[in-house]
Amino acid sequence: MADNTYNAIVVGSGISGGWAAKELCEKGLKVLLLERGGPHEHIKDYKTATKNRWELEHRGYTTIEQKKKYPVIHRGWAASEEVMDAWTNEEDCPYTEIKPFTWWRSYRFGGRSVLWGRHSYRWSQMDFEANAKEGIAVPWPVSYNDIAPWYDHVEKFAGISGSAHGLPQLPDGQFLPPFELNIAEKDVADRIKKQFKGQRHLIIGRVANISVPHNERPGCQYRGRCWEGCPFGGYFSTQSSTFPAAQKTGNLTVRPWSIVTQVLFDAAKRKATGVEILDAETNQTYEFKSDIVFLCASSLNSTWIMMNSATDIWPDGLGSSSGELGHNVMDHHYNMGARGTIEGFEDKYSFGKRPTGFYIPRFANIGNDKRDYLRGFGYQGAASRSGWRREVAELNIGADLKDALSEPGSWEIGATGFGEILPYHENKISLDKSRSDKWGLPVLAMDAELKENEMKMRKDIVEEMKVMLEAAGVKEVKTWDSGHAMGHGIHEMGTARMGSDRKTSVLNKWNQVWDAPNVFVTDGAFMTSSACQNPSLTYMAFTARAVDHAVSELKKGNL
Amino acid sequence: MDRRELLKMIAVVTGGAVIGSEFFLTGCTAGGKADVGFTPGNIALLDEVGETILPATTSPGAKAAQVGEFMKVFVTDCYPQESQDAFVKGINELDEACKKMHSKSFMDCTPEQRRDLLISLEKEAKEYNKAQEEKDKPRWEELKKQDKEYDFVASPKHYYTMMKQLTLLGFFTSKPGATQALRHEAVPGKYDGALPYKKGDKAWAE
Repeated sequence: MADNTYNAIVVGSGISGGWAAKELCEKGLKVLLLERGGPHEHIKDYKTATKNRWELEHRGYTTIEQKKKYPVIHRGWAASEEVMDAWTNEEDCPYTEIKPFTWWRSYRFGGRSVLWGRHSYRWSQMDFEANAKEGIAVPWPVSYNDIAPWYDHVEKFAGISGSAHGLPQLPDGQFLPPFELNIAEKDVADRIKKQFKGQRHLIIGRVANISVPHNERPGCQYRGRCWEGCPFGGYFSTQSSTFPAAQKTGNLTVRPWSIVTQVLFDAAKRKATGVEILDAETNQTYEFKSDIVFLCASSLNSTWIMMNSATDIWPDGLGSSSGELGHNVMDHHYNMGARGTIEGFEDKYSFGKRPTGFYIPRFANIGNDKRDYLRGFGYQGAASRSGWRREVAELNIGADLKDALSEPGSWEIGATGFGEILPYHENKISLDKSRSDKWGLPVLAMDAELKENEMKMRKDIVEEMKVMLEAAGVKEVKTWDSGHAMGHGIHEMGTARMGSDRKTSVLNKWNQVWDAPNVFVTDGAFMTSSACQNPSLTYMAFTARAVDHAVSELKKGNL
Repeated sequence: MDRRELLKMIAVVTGGAVIGSEFFLTGCTAGGKADVGFTPGNIALLDEVGETILPATTSPGAKAAQVGEFMKVFVTDCYPQESQDAFVKGINELDEACKKMHSKSFMDCTPEQRRDLLISLEKEAKEYNKAQEEKDKPRWEELKKQDKEYDFVASPKHYYTMMKQLTLLGFFTSKPGATQALRHEAVPGKYDGALPYKKGDKAWAE
């Protein structure tokens, strides 16, 4: 192999990039995996994972200094002492908010695969056909049957625990044994099933946590500290899963501190020849060459790279010929739901910290159910006995207070909705050339918001949760809606959608850039609609499928 | 519904694994880190305030968990300036209130006298906090309109409320609190969603 030349370059080492690297390496290609942040080694670099809470100086809270450096992360629940090293330094990496946009980034090896919520749900045919049926945006160029075998493929390797329910809106998969609903949740599940005549379901969350040993990983130990990094490889991450598999082939080279500034494009051959990077530590520029390039830099950053590429041919960047690059930003809107108190079960408690909660799959706008908005939502929640943070009204001081708080309180249940956001052309990102980051690179400007369909849905999400909890006999049900800035769902999607027509989409059905077929975009950027299920499993499936196509095309000499 | 509701919900959803719930909203915001005026004397006093709230029983109390020292670290590093000032000023105010009630310093009082003082402060704090919340409401509503709830920083609560919150946090997350007042299991290794429970059994530490 000549210097700086590989068969394939993968940009980004998160969930999608890790999968791309593994699949490409296993098919015999020499792969360069580029990560803009620093190294983060499995187990060794999980600095807080084996510490006790009392060994954290601020017992999990963040400092004034951290708040100053990470204002966006402090808008949500993710600002926590044990994971502050994971988040991107916002002073170095600013962005412009034309409208409020909460962007949660982790620039280090493994990306957000270390921090993610791990809920893993298949999309169904009704998700893939919704755009076409309703005349929204453009139709998906694929159907569920195209993707189903790839869901099988990635589930078997990643290890997804779950229970099968035969629901058309949430297809079953290749599951490891499910985690368990606790006794209070089982009761609520039974009551909901009965009250709603089998049309609504409360099931255990399907997660990428392994309930049994899997692929040499010992498995979940129920410590409830996943996002610090799991020393037991209890959940799927680049570190625990795809990276070791890729490395085992001997075909992988990883280069950290590599900010990809553009895809190099040969105008005559109409294809990419590699990428240019800026070394984040030395500020040196390098070029790497390859036959194919996989952009997996996270939705908005993959689009940022395209916007900066081949600008001599297309001023708005590689993939911009359709006029859709940067458009159709989506997310899942949440921060609203209901909670209440469950009476009874005082003689029952729980042991261990389960890595999931319950899931209530979509029921809105399915079958005969019709709403005054399009699409639907799911809920995630849990029941548990409250702890010492609860307020104790009467016993406000002394031994009585201490004794009371040393025992568990009543069972509480709560759930938040995750709603679909439609793809709107006017919800967009663009380059803000008036500002630059630490390395002098232009930053992104975010201009996206929820619209009427989402606002109507939010009201319904809150109301339906209240109705279900009350129907299940839950007491003191309270609702909340804390509003939702785009991005806050950490499921940012779109900006380089796939489609059947190069005039209205950035990518074809194999995740190839129409204008540069040897460039594949397989992170959330390719999404044509958002459905309401957590999206990472779908990125995994499309990535594996795209690699299969890429290698077969490469062998045929078509790329 | 505000951020504390969300945080509370998340604590419920995750079985309390994510820290930051109902009444610990007096979190961190921009401001300078400085010597904010803690002395060995007032750390000792805070230990005693803590011990009055959570005394040694069959398990160690707040003093054994060094909550005074914890308050110093937390207030200095994590409290916004305004709350820092209110807290430090509050240490003297507490002692003044004590002298008014018992004609002597808090450190010289009996456990019963200390308890009486703190009960009266709790009542005073309730009124005070209510007024503060009312005062904050327009600012909150304004930010909510702009979809910028996250920029909201609550006005300082009554100093005694802060002391009590930090006593609970400092104690139940300390080693003696987590392992002796509560039960601690670093590597549970399994999940049981219907564990038999009888009154008096301790809760699991976070």
